[in-house]
Amino acid sequence: MSAGERESCRVSRVACLVVAVIVAAGLLQLAFRLRELQVDDAAEYGYASARQSIRRVQIGGTRGRILDRRGVLLADNRPSLSVACRPAVFQRRTWEATVDAIEAAISNAARTVGRPSPLSRKTIRRHVNQTLAMPLAVWLDIGVDELARFSERANEHPGFFVLETEERIYPQGSLAAHLVGMVGRDRGEATEGDEKYNFFSPELRGRAGLEHYYNSFLRGVSGERKVLVDARGFAIREWVVSEPRKGLDLRLTLDSNLQRTVELQLRGLSGACAVVDPRNGDVLALASAPGFNPNEFVPVLRSELYSRYSSDPRKPLLNRAVGGAYAPGSTFKPVIALAALTAGVPAELTYDCTGVFRLGQMRLRCASRWGHGSLDMRHALMKSCNPYFCNLGLDIGTNAIQVAASAFGFGEKTGIDFGIDMSGTVPDADWKMRMYGEKWFLGDVAQMSIGQGMLLVSPLQMALAAGAIGTGFRVTPRLKADLPVARTPLPFKAENLAVVREGMRLVVAGDGESRGTGWRGGVGVPVSVSGKTGTAEIGRGATRRKNTWFIAYAPSEAPTVALALIVENGESGGVTAAPKAAEILREAFRK
Amino acid sequence: MRGWWKRLDWLALAVTIVLIAIGTIAIRSAGYARVETVFHGMWISNLMTAGFGLVLYFLIALTDYRKALGFVALPAYVVSLLLLVAVLIFGAEQFGGRRWLWFFQPSEVAKLCVIVLTAVLFGAARSRVAGVRTTFCGFLLAGALVGVPALLILAEPDLGTALTLVPSVLVMFLAAGVWRKGLVTIVLVGGLAALAVLGAVYEAERPGVPAARREKILRYVPLKAHQLKRVRVFLFPEEDRLGAGYNLRQAKISIGSGGFSGKGIGKGESNHLKYLPQAISMNDFIFCVWAEETGYVGSAVLLALFGLLLLRGCRTAFRATDGEGRLLALGVTALIFAHVYVNIAMSVGIVPITGLPLPFISSGRTFLIVVLCGLGLIQSVNIHREEKKHD
Repeated sequence: MSAGERESCRVSRVACLVVAVIVAAGLLQLAFRLRELQVDDAAEYGYASARQSIRRVQIGGTRGRILDRRGVLLADNRPSLSVACRPAVFQRRTWEATVDAIEAAISNAARTVGRPSPLSRKTIRRHVNQTLAMPLAVWLDIGVDELARFSERANEHPGFFVLETEERIYPQGSLAAHLVGMVGRDRGEATEGDEKYNFFSPELRGRAGLEHYYNSFLRGVSGERKVLVDARGFAIREWVVSEPRKGLDLRLTLDSNLQRTVELQLRGLSGACAVVDPRNGDVLALASAPGFNPNEFVPVLRSELYSRYSSDPRKPLLNRAVGGAYAPGSTFKPVIALAALTAGVPAELTYDCTGVFRLGQMRLRCASRWGHGSLDMRHALMKSCNPYFCNLGLDIGTNAIQVAASAFGFGEKTGIDFGIDMSGTVPDADWKMRMYGEKWFLGDVAQMSIGQGMLLVSPLQMALAAGAIGTGFRVTPRLKADLPVARTPLPFKAENLAVVREGMRLVVAGDGESRGTGWRGGVGVPVSVSGKTGTAEIGRGATRRKNTWFIAYAPSEAPTVALALIVENGESGGVTAAPKAAEILREAFRK
Repeated sequence: MRGWWKRLDWLALAVTIVLIAIGTIAIRSAGYARVETVFHGMWISNLMTAGFGLVLYFLIALTDYRKALGFVALPAYVVSLLLLVAVLIFGAEQFGGRRWLWFFQPSEVAKLCVIVLTAVLFGAARSRVAGVRTTFCGFLLAGALVGVPALLILAEPDLGTALTLVPSVLVMFLAAGVWRKGLVTIVLVGGLAALAVLGAVYEAERPGVPAARREKILRYVPLKAHQLKRVRVFLFPEEDRLGAGYNLRQAKISIGSGGFSGKGIGKGESNHLKYLPQAISMNDFIFCVWAEETGYVGSAVLLALFGLLLLRGCRTAFRATDGEGRLLALGVTALIFAHVYVNIAMSVGIVPITGLPLPFISSGRTFLIVVLCGLGLIQSVNIHREEKKHD
């Protein structure tokens, strides 16, 4: 290079080197930073990427069935087909336009399916807003005709497909409906242990009865599906990670034949009946009338149907057998008798019955208008003499009655494996002051002694009490067959129990003029029956009604069946309830 | 002219063609992720543009820059200024700025014109300006040369493009020895001012600063609302991931989740599932698409290719036999480097987000042609280096 050239090139050569160094340094800095992101923190960003683009969807397992003690199916599953659509097919630039497109496609498909669209625009918008990655089920539980029509022209409706699910079916219809309960379809709330999921398949969940109480037992183990979603939340691809497992079958202690007989006896009436095995607490039948057919609530509980049921003054949705609180009336007298015997009153003590019991201003009439004359405890039970037990109750006082009542579990839950378990009320001075702000009068004691006033029990409690008198043991009732038996002996002396048993045997067994009030309860039953009638008066004047009871256990010597039956607005326990109990006992002891 | 193929920088040409191929692949991936089918064929138009650009590349490379630029530089500069004025009047409004005139961006063309005119005025031996370059007068001239187009570009407004013009021209001024004292002072003052702005924004936006104090500080910060937002995202990247910080967060997720070896070409989930902002995934965030699909291997290869190309540019500048050629090579190299550095650095969160294309990889057609013309100039410097002897 000549001197002239050097002169002409007045631009620094050093600058070139400096730029080269800056370039190299800048690119190296970028390389180091990229190493940080793509090598050191790659796992973290990979997780962030997966977390924002993958949704975990819970898949519900097939629900377990419900069977009676002999294996008769009370609740089962049937395959159900629905027409659903994938929102991703209808995506538009704006959310409103997407909702428009889905709505238009649904009303278009409605002509093919032959059923109007059941979804409001609001529902579609909510689905787009909240559960976009999931298919939108449009027509639930379609019939064969609808399926045929849709399948034939399915390719005209891209984005729509047939979704296979399962629906609950109750093969026995309304049998034991209050007990079995019903299911509803969930819309995406987390069940226990499933919090990790983003979305939930619309799953059957028990809403009432055993379906509700044993929901987690019946529902099985969830499976998992993963859905890849784009930035807006539309599903791109999905795959199953783990298959769901089927739920367990629930075997009951219930006897569906006996249950059917019981429901037949209650048909057209308002009332309830509980039949238990007093040896182990098996609930053989538990019925409440009027009832309902749970199949009407599948696949969805329609609001007009629900409001028809819930506004019915006869309350068909109420399970009276465990949720009804009734005055026990005279069926409570055996408890009073045991309380008196325990307090030292001899069974041979007699009172004179004149047909009416007077206490101050109060007059309590006896079943026998002209009075029973002089009778002892056994015969007072047999004839259900009100003055006798009023006197007895006043003699021993509230406390002794309470102790005996709580020995049978009155005023507390029975412990049945069921969602409803009415504890009832055994009132005393404190309770009355708390509830009504009034003092506890002798009249209250007299009322309680004949099972009236503020005393309230459930039919199941009464059946268990009857059984306990028969066996000498108090048991915890059970509906699920393999629950352990829980028995506790009654705190009464054997000879005292024997007196009451003798009295209850006379109620049914007597003959001719000397027959007891519940003689109809033993008619045609192949074993000897012990029982007690009850007629509880409610209200005064025009609204005065009578709830008629019959409680029993049989065979008298070694009871295997105990029951309590109540018919609302009956004539009397002996006339209304006892014959129905006899029919039930005949079925229970049918060879 | 004889034996030009011996003096052509074949390595730089090869790297250029590989970069065009990579860009085409990345644009194809980014285009297919778009809902609008128009973008699915974008890679073909990119290839066609590149072909056209390569024709210009060779035409320029085979022309002796010393003979041609003396006639072309000033008219080109004036025309580009007119275009910059025209875009402010007739330009189509898009993304809050007027940057497009018909089918191209005048600001990209203007950058090259500024570089060329600077090289001619301050580098050529014949230039009358060359004599006064070290004086205050030269400094004023240089300032006007850059200042006018820079102000016009700022008016669009396009801060990013204006900012890349400044360092490349500054490098040329420094190399040419333009009034060093003044330049160094200005660089220092500018750097301090930038730091002061950053510091002020940090002080104002720090969590727990009362609103009144924040208002008071921000009143003195010369930034527009959207620029302030970007600086805030840069300073506090973990805040507001779904709002202003969303773009940066998604850019980092797609780059990071690519891992060492990438997810495979055409399989980048952030891109295809549209988490990466769709509007800019083909331009400003195209590096994320490439980095996600090819991983660290791919991004390192890309950096190496850029490094090779830029260092070949420095080599050409170093070996140039006259000031004009040296300044040309330096200016073009500095311009490309500024784009590469700022674009990738903003994607990885080193600098605030600014809308700048990545040379060869982004889908901007004007910029691709401008870059190829610039590289053609460098090749011309290579080819015509020795020719003065034979004149």
